[in-house]
Amino acid sequence: MNAPLTGASERAEVTRPAPRVPVSELVFALLMLGLGIFAIVGVFNIHIPVGVQVGPTVFPIFVSVVLLASAAAVLYGVLRGRRAEVEEGEDIDPDARTDWLTLAKIIAGLVAHLLLIDLIGWAPAAAVLFGVVAWALGAKRWWLGFVIGLAIGVVVQIVFGGLLGLSLPWGPALGWLGGMF
Amino acid sequence: MDSWSLLLEGFATALQPQYLVFALVGVLIGTAVGVLPGIGPAMTVALLLPLTYTLDPTAALITFAGIYYGGMYGGSTTSILLNTPGESASIVTAIEGNKMAKIGRGAAALATAAIGSFVAGTLATVGLTLLAPVLAQFAVGLGPADYFALIVIAFITVGALIGSSVPRGMLSLGVGLFLGLIGTDLLSGQQRYTLGLLALSDGVDIVLVAVGLFAVGETLYIAARLRHGAVDVIPVARGWRTWMTREDWKRSWKPWLRGTVIGFPIGTIPAGGADVATFLSYATERKLSKHKDEFGRGAIEGVAGPESANNAAAAGVLVPLLTLGLPTTATAAIILVAFQAYGLQPGPLLFESQPALVWALVASLYLGNVILIVLNLPLVGMWVKLLQIPRPYLYAGILTFAAFGAYALNFAVVDILILVIVGVLGYFMRRFGYPVAPLVVGMILGPMAEEYLRKALQLSQGDLTTLVTQPFAAAAYGVLALLVFGGLWLRRRQRRYEQQLTETIAVPITADQEV
Repeated sequence: MNAPLTGASERAEVTRPAPRVPVSELVFALLMLGLGIFAIVGVFNIHIPVGVQVGPTVFPIFVSVVLLASAAAVLYGVLRGRRAEVEEGEDIDPDARTDWLTLAKIIAGLVAHLLLIDLIGWAPAAAVLFGVVAWALGAKRWWLGFVIGLAIGVVVQIVFGGLLGLSLPWGPALGWLGGMF
Repeated sequence: MDSWSLLLEGFATALQPQYLVFALVGVLIGTAVGVLPGIGPAMTVALLLPLTYTLDPTAALITFAGIYYGGMYGGSTTSILLNTPGESASIVTAIEGNKMAKIGRGAAALATAAIGSFVAGTLATVGLTLLAPVLAQFAVGLGPADYFALIVIAFITVGALIGSSVPRGMLSLGVGLFLGLIGTDLLSGQQRYTLGLLALSDGVDIVLVAVGLFAVGETLYIAARLRHGAVDVIPVARGWRTWMTREDWKRSWKPWLRGTVIGFPIGTIPAGGADVATFLSYATERKLSKHKDEFGRGAIEGVAGPESANNAAAAGVLVPLLTLGLPTTATAAIILVAFQAYGLQPGPLLFESQPALVWALVASLYLGNVILIVLNLPLVGMWVKLLQIPRPYLYAGILTFAAFGAYALNFAVVDILILVIVGVLGYFMRRFGYPVAPLVVGMILGPMAEEYLRKALQLSQGDLTTLVTQPFAAAAYGVLALLVFGGLWLRRRQRRYEQQLTETIAVPITADQEV
């Protein structure tokens, strides 16, 4: 890096030239505006019991107004060029671009985990989640994550499921272990 | 009974061996998780919430007190020892400790942070002990309109003062309020925004939202732009003798006390939490120091003051939380969730209905501070090892525990799905600069605000003026205006100050990189 670093904001501008129209930011703000519209329309679907003076719609109207007003203010700000200020973190590479593929892998790992819990038991499903995430984030040996995940999963299952009585499903492979508690 | 004898009884409870073990475990786990990079105090508390599900209320709250203080302290170890050049400039208080470590004075930085946290934490807990019963007694007399005013204050200060832009903070708050509406209205039994789905008729669980935003959303945000390559931890000299010299003590004790005096009051009022306190303390120390030239290059006052202010504010936050049931930070909001999980509602009545529990909790705060200082310095070697965990496994572990926490709520797979959806929302909020703390606070306080609002309006038979004509409520709105303007002014100063500071120390940063 040749230029001296003079601050987070300037560095971001140097390395990631912002597009003229921040499309994704606008889309998110529009979605939030949509949520506000959904909230205000939803007020009319709430049944008001007869004879109630301050009913179940009073507060939702207030909430809808907060949503609509602030979403409009954000939209106005973005259009006027007031872009988002994002936070940095210890493990964040300020010069990196968003890695959508990694995000997709992680989400897939989470979805696989929730689909597998009832089929193969909690600990093996935890191993799948741990392994997939570690692999997606670039672990050196792809299989090690699954091994560590299985070890952690079994320990958690024994401590919380076996000893403390949380009903985590043992699954077909570990059923014999569950029988011991 | 006066509060001192109640406090002694609290100590008698908290000092029982089994509760002492829980306090120890809480501090250890809280610090360990707080030390992990990328995990702030709110995420620490959210991730560890499920651990306390199986305990009885007293044990759970004592563990939680340890986690809270441990998590608050753990973060400073990370910023002192982790060598991430670009980032240090964005957090004004992390600079000095990091710089000290780079010139081989890491042990002194850790020691002054630990001892300062202990001093400030203990003094602030004394403040809490004195202030809380008085405030609780006063708060018993408040009516629904007054409570509504207090919650509105919390809403607006949290929405406007947390994060970088006021509209984004308010929007985040609005989303939280909306999520709080989903489900069955308790007063009239009507369904609201459930879309006819059975899973939504009981509402969305706040734990899922907190863990989803802080653990899953944050992890996704980091994963998308992960810093690859070896982890660079600054080595620290071992051994007692290197910790603090006589000179270090002489330069540290005043900043510790000043930090406490600055941090505790700021913690008790809803003005943006510990961030403001640490910044004010740093600015004060820089102004008063005889070693101005050292600031930006590793001045011990710049670690001692802000670290103390941070911990004093952490204790201060507990004052409105325990006496009024008002969380003013995201971390406090999650602690409120922990209370509610046991059917306890923090507020003035808690001091009357559950005095044993409240005072055992306060006593365990004192004990937690002692445990922290006894454990932390000798265990520095272990914290360094934690910092070196390869990031793929670290974040895999965080996600696994987040999913575990969600599943352990009701043992329903659909909860993990909600967790993932909230996590994705959290990712985009972080990406587009929306603070997530107001969402959590809004979701918790929204239902309470609605209840008080409706009670107040029923008492006045629908007359809206009742909300502002009660003397306390009227005064509260006046204070609100002051808080918001004062807070926004402070934040502006803080940003300008940080920018200036970044510019003045920009040269040493590049020099370090080239060495």
